[in-house]
Amino acid sequence: MNKKYLYGGVGLFDSPDDIIKAASETSEKGFKKFDVHTPYPVHGMDSAMKLKPSKLAYFSLVFGLTGTFSALALMYWTSSIDYPVIIGGKPFFSFPAYVPIMFELTVLLAAVMTVVTLISIFFKFPNISHPLHDTQYMKAVSSDRYGICIEPDENHTIEEIELFLKSLGAKDITKIYYDDEELKYKNVILQPKFLLFLALIAVIVSGATYFSLNKLMFMQPFNWMREQAKVIPQESSAFFTDGFGMRMPVEGTVARENLPYLFKNQPEEAGKFLINPLEANEENLNLGKKKYDIYCSPCHGYFGEGDSRLRGQFPNPPSIHSEKVRNWSDGRIFHVVTEGQNIMPSYSTQLTNNERWATILYLRVLQRSFNAKESDLR
Amino acid sequence: MSSIDYSRELSVIEGKPALREIDDLIAKPLETKPNIKFFIGLGITLTMLAIGVIAIGLSFYYGTGLWGNNNPVGWGFPIVNFVFWVGIGHAGTLISAILFLLRQKWRNGIARFAEGMTIFAVMTALIFPLIHVGRPWLAGYLMPYPNQHSLWVNFTSPLLWDVFAVSTYFTVSFIFWYVGLIPDFAVLRDRTKTKIKKAIYSVFSLGWRNSNRHWQHYEMVYLVLAGFATPLVLSVHTIVSFDFAVSILPGWHTTIFPPYFVAGAVFSGFAMVQNVLIVIRKVFNYEHIITIDTLEKMNKIIVLTGTLVGYAYAMEFFIAWYSGVQAEQFTFVNRAFGPYAWAYWIMITCNVVFPQLFWSKKIRRSIPVMFVIAVFVNVGMWFERFVITVTSLSRDFLPSSWAYYTPTLTDFGILIGSFGFFFTFVLLFSKTLPVVSIAEVKAVVDGSQPSHEGH
Amino acid sequence: MSEHNTNIEYTHRGIPPVLSRVSSALLLIGILVAIISYLTDPVRSAFNNIVLLMLLTSVGVGSLFLIGIEYLAGAVWSTPFRRVFEFLASVVLVIPVIAIPVYLNVHSVYHWSHTDAVAADKILSGKEPYLNETFFLIRLIAYFVVWIVFYFIFTSNSKKQDKTKDQKLTKRNIRFSALFMPLFALTLTFSAIDFLMSLEPHWFSTIFGVYFFAGTVLASLAAGTFLVIMFVQKGYFIKGIIKDHYYSFGALLFAFINFWAYIAFSQYMLIWYANLPEETFWFINKWEGSWMYFSIFLIITHFLVPYFALLSQPSKMNEKRLKFMSIWILFAHIIDLYWLVLPTFNPEGFVFSWNEIGFIILGLGLILTMFNWKARKENIIPIGDPKLKRGLDFRL
Repeated sequence: MNKKYLYGGVGLFDSPDDIIKAASETSEKGFKKFDVHTPYPVHGMDSAMKLKPSKLAYFSLVFGLTGTFSALALMYWTSSIDYPVIIGGKPFFSFPAYVPIMFELTVLLAAVMTVVTLISIFFKFPNISHPLHDTQYMKAVSSDRYGICIEPDENHTIEEIELFLKSLGAKDITKIYYDDEELKYKNVILQPKFLLFLALIAVIVSGATYFSLNKLMFMQPFNWMREQAKVIPQESSAFFTDGFGMRMPVEGTVARENLPYLFKNQPEEAGKFLINPLEANEENLNLGKKKYDIYCSPCHGYFGEGDSRLRGQFPNPPSIHSEKVRNWSDGRIFHVVTEGQNIMPSYSTQLTNNERWATILYLRVLQRSFNAKESDLR
Repeated sequence: MSSIDYSRELSVIEGKPALREIDDLIAKPLETKPNIKFFIGLGITLTMLAIGVIAIGLSFYYGTGLWGNNNPVGWGFPIVNFVFWVGIGHAGTLISAILFLLRQKWRNGIARFAEGMTIFAVMTALIFPLIHVGRPWLAGYLMPYPNQHSLWVNFTSPLLWDVFAVSTYFTVSFIFWYVGLIPDFAVLRDRTKTKIKKAIYSVFSLGWRNSNRHWQHYEMVYLVLAGFATPLVLSVHTIVSFDFAVSILPGWHTTIFPPYFVAGAVFSGFAMVQNVLIVIRKVFNYEHIITIDTLEKMNKIIVLTGTLVGYAYAMEFFIAWYSGVQAEQFTFVNRAFGPYAWAYWIMITCNVVFPQLFWSKKIRRSIPVMFVIAVFVNVGMWFERFVITVTSLSRDFLPSSWAYYTPTLTDFGILIGSFGFFFTFVLLFSKTLPVVSIAEVKAVVDGSQPSHEGH
Repeated sequence: MSEHNTNIEYTHRGIPPVLSRVSSALLLIGILVAIISYLTDPVRSAFNNIVLLMLLTSVGVGSLFLIGIEYLAGAVWSTPFRRVFEFLASVVLVIPVIAIPVYLNVHSVYHWSHTDAVAADKILSGKEPYLNETFFLIRLIAYFVVWIVFYFIFTSNSKKQDKTKDQKLTKRNIRFSALFMPLFALTLTFSAIDFLMSLEPHWFSTIFGVYFFAGTVLASLAAGTFLVIMFVQKGYFIKGIIKDHYYSFGALLFAFINFWAYIAFSQYMLIWYANLPEETFWFINKWEGSWMYFSIFLIITHFLVPYFALLSQPSKMNEKRLKFMSIWILFAHIIDLYWLVLPTFNPEGFVFSWNEIGFIILGLGLILTMFNWKARKENIIPIGDPKLKRGLDFRL
């Protein structure tokens, strides 16, 4: 056998009233290290042992508030700062919608951390190597008896303790000894090796999570629907000899509504040969007005007088009501719109051919309105 | 009947058993080999589970097109089952936390088992959203972590609140359950004769020594956990109800949903606990621990919550009329008299009518009758979720898109599987862990607390 | 043997003189101010009258509920205090009187009472079968009859028990409580709909009854807690009331503070989230102008302050703090009622002057006067109740 060291004296009682009485007498007698062991919490024992109220609830409060505010901070940062997205027309920071998650994280953090605190700091658990373990005494108090255990201190020897226990009326008074293993036992929680082990687990778990969510999920065969037999725009192709994934259009292909302009740099010819294909009906005039108001009016003004809205940042264009422009054919104006003139740029990319013709129809309306004939008044 | 003496407290545990007898009785299922009845039961639940596994396997292989979900009813069986199972879980927390805060001693005999059922029910419930998303392997994206898309989860979505609520609920319930188990593991550790069991129990008991210096903090933690679990259990079904109620769909968008869902969850949960407890107390001879008085009290809670649910049905109907909103009015008339009227009236009969029988004391104390009523309540509550989910979706604002939802065989297979999953765990639990809390029961046996005479 | 044989030492001492002085002062001032207010500004007074009416309903009917729930749940800790709630419940006797001015001014407060306006409004004419003056009157009478009948049933059985110690009376009251609960739920819900929700006749919310219920329980519990602590401190109560009893009061107040916040938040969140115009306008009205500050003030007084004040275990047992917080919560409930009613009167911003204060004083005066009237001559302890001894021995 190993060498043994004394832990303390224990005695057993049979009823809760007896143990309450014994506990209060023990605490009054001035024993410093004593403890009561009962199979279930006995009411009134805390005051009999003169224990201070548990401070554990304050830990819960602190952890809970940490949860609340970290949840709020996370949600605020992600949805108002890092990647703001409008969802359901609600503001980026929609507090009412954050309340549920704030609450859940409060409870989660508080509950988990309270129990962790209880077990590791208040109980100094796990500790399965205590002198009281595996004794007849422990077997009795975990089932149906009530025990008291007193450790000797500078004022009380073990013999005094045994006498005192006898005077309380305790039964089965015994001495409890440490064995070697128990003496050397240290709480595993705060040992550097254990902490290192925990840190290692944390690293491994977070690494594995990172790897599986960000790497593994994107490898074969987890590439789900990303790998498909189709041509992706701008990618090269092994199928075609020229190596292009995208094909060139057939020779002579023309983009819709974008016939090439035949009269480049030939304003007079354009005026002579181009004829407005559109009828001056309501539909076309409305289209023309719309386009004129969008593209032309900023410089030419809503009525074509050259009263630019650009407040002199650009030189104002001449009026379209001049004799010269009024006498131009539609094709001549079309040339100006298509090619531009002086500082007026080309509008061929903004307006399709038909839209240009429609705009010219509207322009004619404007001109007519400024120089109406007698017949128009009827 | 008039012989009840109100001036004396009723014993929670009948017959004042010796403390060691309680140990023996509760530890007995753990120390004896399971008998043939157990294996028959396990066989049945495993068969049900296998049906579910096959149905889910087929769904994975062929896709969710095997289910009845289709436009306009996109939320069919999976959501109905999810809400049903989460609701079942609520009774456990109610018994272990709320009744603890209310100092109801009779809860001590049934709390452990109900907590266990909570955990299994939440596990069962979690299957459904997971398969309903169609790609369960991408569930990791539900967590807000800095991913390579640099996208975050949508914190304003009630479906995400669900993720947080249900996972928190599971974690906290599990912790609560385990904290309760620690002293019981110590009892088992000190009883057992085999070495392996002893090692296992020693590890799980963490070295518990029944010390009063520990009991003091332990009770505080229990109180704190109960204080957290109480609003938590309310929040979980509240958030589940938000899934429906934040929308603008008539029949879903109504402000009474949060308390109404919670009452309904407690209602169905109690019925399920009632069903299982009736069997357990018979099989394990716990009749004097889970007494008929306890069952009667549970029946009172069933009739209370059933009436609350009835109040909510009535209120929804009245306000739908009162609101003057045509779509609302139509939805409720459609519920009661439309194509799903059969489901609606099953729900009303099972949830509102049958529990009212519990007003009679005789019925409250008759075990066969309460068993049947509890089964009806479960059926009714399942149909309640069905009615809410399906009727509102199947006839929404656009009459041209109306359609009748018909569940498929696969849907039913998964539903059966969920019951198999749940009851397999219940059976295994009943043979591996003490289904009644040893320490808590001892604390409420007559004479186990010091008398107040000396004070 | 239906009589029980537990004996309690108790001598009836009436009420503290300061209480009777305060109550008559409050009542006189209140009546005076209310009359002047009606003479100068009848519309505003009618709105304030609704606040007063609902305050009395909260305290009176809430007390009836607490009595009933004690019988039904078989609670023992609250048995020594049941009389306090029985006395408070006598407030239901004056509720019909207070309702008369509201009914007389129905046209100035309830928009739906104007038949021409209803006829022009499609939605309101749809509600006409419910919201019309005749049915309104019938419902009011029904509520008052239910409350007063059950008040007399509960109190007379309880009073009889003082002499006979007959346990059958407890049983009878349990039966009546079971009957009362559904009726309570319906009458309270519909009175909340009639008096408060129909102020904005277009608005609707299914949770509204529950919302008012939460406030009701808080108000009656707070009033009861305050009176209990005062009586104990002045030595007019029975001996043997300890911290554990106070803790139960504190815990219940705390629980219902949370419940109120939960219900209020649910109602707000769902309406805010869905953003349907037929619902949101009600909250927008309460966010217009200076009402915004008032709404924030309501959240602080009705939830944040009492929540943190009663959070810790020692604070729930601390009688000083509990006494202060119960008064605080009663006032928070008045603020809540004010927040529900007055935005309809003045949507631009909140108004608060002597009219409002007068009606609040009148409310407190009426509650205290009714309480004193009962407490002066009747035992403040249900000395014949079989559960009394157990209630006094109650330990956590």
